[in-house]
Amino acid sequence: MSTLLDLLRSGYPGDLAAAMVVNFRIAGLALVMGLALGLPLAVGLAGGRGWRRIIAPVLGVMRAAPTFVVMFYLLNVIPHDLSLAGIDLAPSGPMIVALSLVPYAAAYGADNGGEALSSFRRGSVEGALLFLPNIVRAFFVLVMSSSTGAAIGVSEGVAVVLREADRWPQLGDKLIVFAIGVFAFGLVFQSGFALIRLAVHRIGRRHRRAAGSA
Amino acid sequence: MIGRLFLRPVAAVLVALLALTTVPAGAAPEGAEPAAGPADVALDRLLGDVRARLPAACADPAADRLVGVLCSGRLRVGVRDTYPLFATEQGGRRSGYDIDVARALADRLGVVPEWVPVRPATRISTLAEGGADVVIATMGHNTRRDTQARFIRPHYYRSETIIVGPREVPLRGWGDLRGRTVCTTIGNYANAHIVSRDVRVMLFDGASRLPEALRDGTCRFAAHDDSFFASYLGSDGALQPGFERKFGFDPVPWGMAVAAAGSAELARALELVSQSMHRDGTFLSIARKTGIFTTFLEDQEQLWRSPACARTPTDCLIPALNTVPPPTAFASQVERGLAWSERHLGLSPALPMLLTQPAWDLFVAGIVNSMILVLGALAATLAFALLVGIVSALPFRATRLLSWLVVVALQSSPVLLTLVVVTAVAHVLFTYSAAVALGAAIVALGLMNGANAGQAIGEAAESLRREQGLGRKLTLPLFGAALIRSLTQILSFLVNAAKGTPVASFTGAPELLAALTDIMSFSAGRGDTYAIVLVFYIGVVTLVVWGCNRARAYVERRSLAG
Repeated sequence: MSTLLDLLRSGYPGDLAAAMVVNFRIAGLALVMGLALGLPLAVGLAGGRGWRRIIAPVLGVMRAAPTFVVMFYLLNVIPHDLSLAGIDLAPSGPMIVALSLVPYAAAYGADNGGEALSSFRRGSVEGALLFLPNIVRAFFVLVMSSSTGAAIGVSEGVAVVLREADRWPQLGDKLIVFAIGVFAFGLVFQSGFALIRLAVHRIGRRHRRAAGSA
Repeated sequence: MIGRLFLRPVAAVLVALLALTTVPAGAAPEGAEPAAGPADVALDRLLGDVRARLPAACADPAADRLVGVLCSGRLRVGVRDTYPLFATEQGGRRSGYDIDVARALADRLGVVPEWVPVRPATRISTLAEGGADVVIATMGHNTRRDTQARFIRPHYYRSETIIVGPREVPLRGWGDLRGRTVCTTIGNYANAHIVSRDVRVMLFDGASRLPEALRDGTCRFAAHDDSFFASYLGSDGALQPGFERKFGFDPVPWGMAVAAAGSAELARALELVSQSMHRDGTFLSIARKTGIFTTFLEDQEQLWRSPACARTPTDCLIPALNTVPPPTAFASQVERGLAWSERHLGLSPALPMLLTQPAWDLFVAGIVNSMILVLGALAATLAFALLVGIVSALPFRATRLLSWLVVVALQSSPVLLTLVVVTAVAHVLFTYSAAVALGAAIVALGLMNGANAGQAIGEAAESLRREQGLGRKLTLPLFGAALIRSLTQILSFLVNAAKGTPVASFTGAPELLAALTDIMSFSAGRGDTYAIVLVFYIGVVTLVVWGCNRARAYVERRSLAG
């Protein structure tokens, strides 16, 4: 109990909250880049058999690529002194994590974008609107996945949790540090999903109301 | 008579005092200059012989470099510009241990030093191109460099790799570091030692980033030369007061070097000067003045003052560090294949894992462990899915609440954090080993994915009860139907488990990503190597997806037939 109080009185909660902002930034970046790549693929998928034959294997590789390995690959392949016309283009740690999440985000965007397009073509605007909560869902999954950045030295939420845990030699104390971390991430994750459930519920209600009035 | 009586005790006291103050051969009393030793005599003779050939020899292009040095009256010394405490340049003024050693050397040869700036990449090439007579530039003496330049022994310094970490974290030796991450630089010889001790490495391109990474919390521990960290750990250093040297390993002797050809007499002269400077404590006093670590120089001073070293100096020399790892049995075939590939295809991938035996052993173990990890994670996911599925489908509110709490907690924890928590618990229960790290990773991946799949089974059972108006009792047919209904979810979490296996490298599981990171820490060719890991894991996940699709088709066929 005293460990918990000590931790809550220390700078740990503040540091954790500040570091989790990095997770949100990484997730936001990855989602924007993923949608920029995924939505044209979704349009391509809906464009006919020829396009599908080209795009489907690409999506298969994107789905199969483990984020953690992609992150190490990018970290080691992109030169640290990359520049163009004197402008420094070397990506930062958070940017590398965001780039590593792009294959997942793009594949997710293409799959869900494709379904939304199909729904729209069938005349189901509500079905197409489900794309929006799905994107929010992807954002929260990306927030959780961005914690892999701790492995390459990005100072995000999990990195702060691990740093704090290192200061406590006893397993019991470490577990309290971890529990606070899980609570912080859980709060974000579960709130996000509650938001999605609410959005899906609202869309469903609109759909039922529209069907009733017709 | 009285005079004799008085003189005898006085003479006895004088004799006794003389006996007490007499120093054994080869040793000097504290604070006094030792008498000229055999090295000084040999140096005077060598310099005398060469000077006797001057000035006629000055015009001889084939003359030894020592002739050139004595003719010009200048010793061109290759030194570094930006190595704190050893060689720095500010406003045209050079200072540091290497600089003062160079000044002392030139002084003994009766010439003046002339500075030639060198970098680590140009230290040996500058010598080979005749740009400097000698290089004194924080250069480790190893067997690989022995073929490129002539190193002067005895060595003028010795560094070792040290582990630096926070003062508040107790760390006595390798045992306390197992399973932890140490930040280090790519290509560092000592990394092979670090990874062999079950310590994970985080790689940086250059040492200059390490102190900053320690300060901002990116790294808890860092490993590099003590000579590098000396200025940061000094009383006004940037890593004070929070960090300290924990322990050191892998000592590397530092050598000044001359060109491999045409420098035999210069090398001999510098060897004699070095013996003399160890014996009379010149190296040690320069080091003390500079504020660098002096343990090696203290030992060398004692050694070179001993009569044994004066008699046979070769017995007192330290050999070059052997840094050439043994090649694999098929290294020559691989090299031939790579040469063919470069000639005919224009491709020359770096494959360090095929060229040296330690790297090959790590690579093979990495592949085997990855397969164990993937199969283990799939089995654990399935087992936890069934367990959580049964518990959440039971007709008791308490068990359903329990399974819901477990699932929510696991869903709320990022994958890396869950892995760390399970591994931390495993390390308390078992002695740390790679197998324990692997087992903990299997359990963590199984828990995370199995809990989600189990929740899907529970929800499927609930939906079947509602649809078919079944009672609350959990029967075998109901559970079987729930499994079939949640098959898509179960299979997708199996694929997710396979995709998540490389994350286990973070907690020290020796799978392929960890193995290749270890290989990269002491080899070259990062891009190609990580491309191999990426292709390997995409292949593994694709295989798991294919297997899952086959399983789904089989189950669908069976349920249609039923």
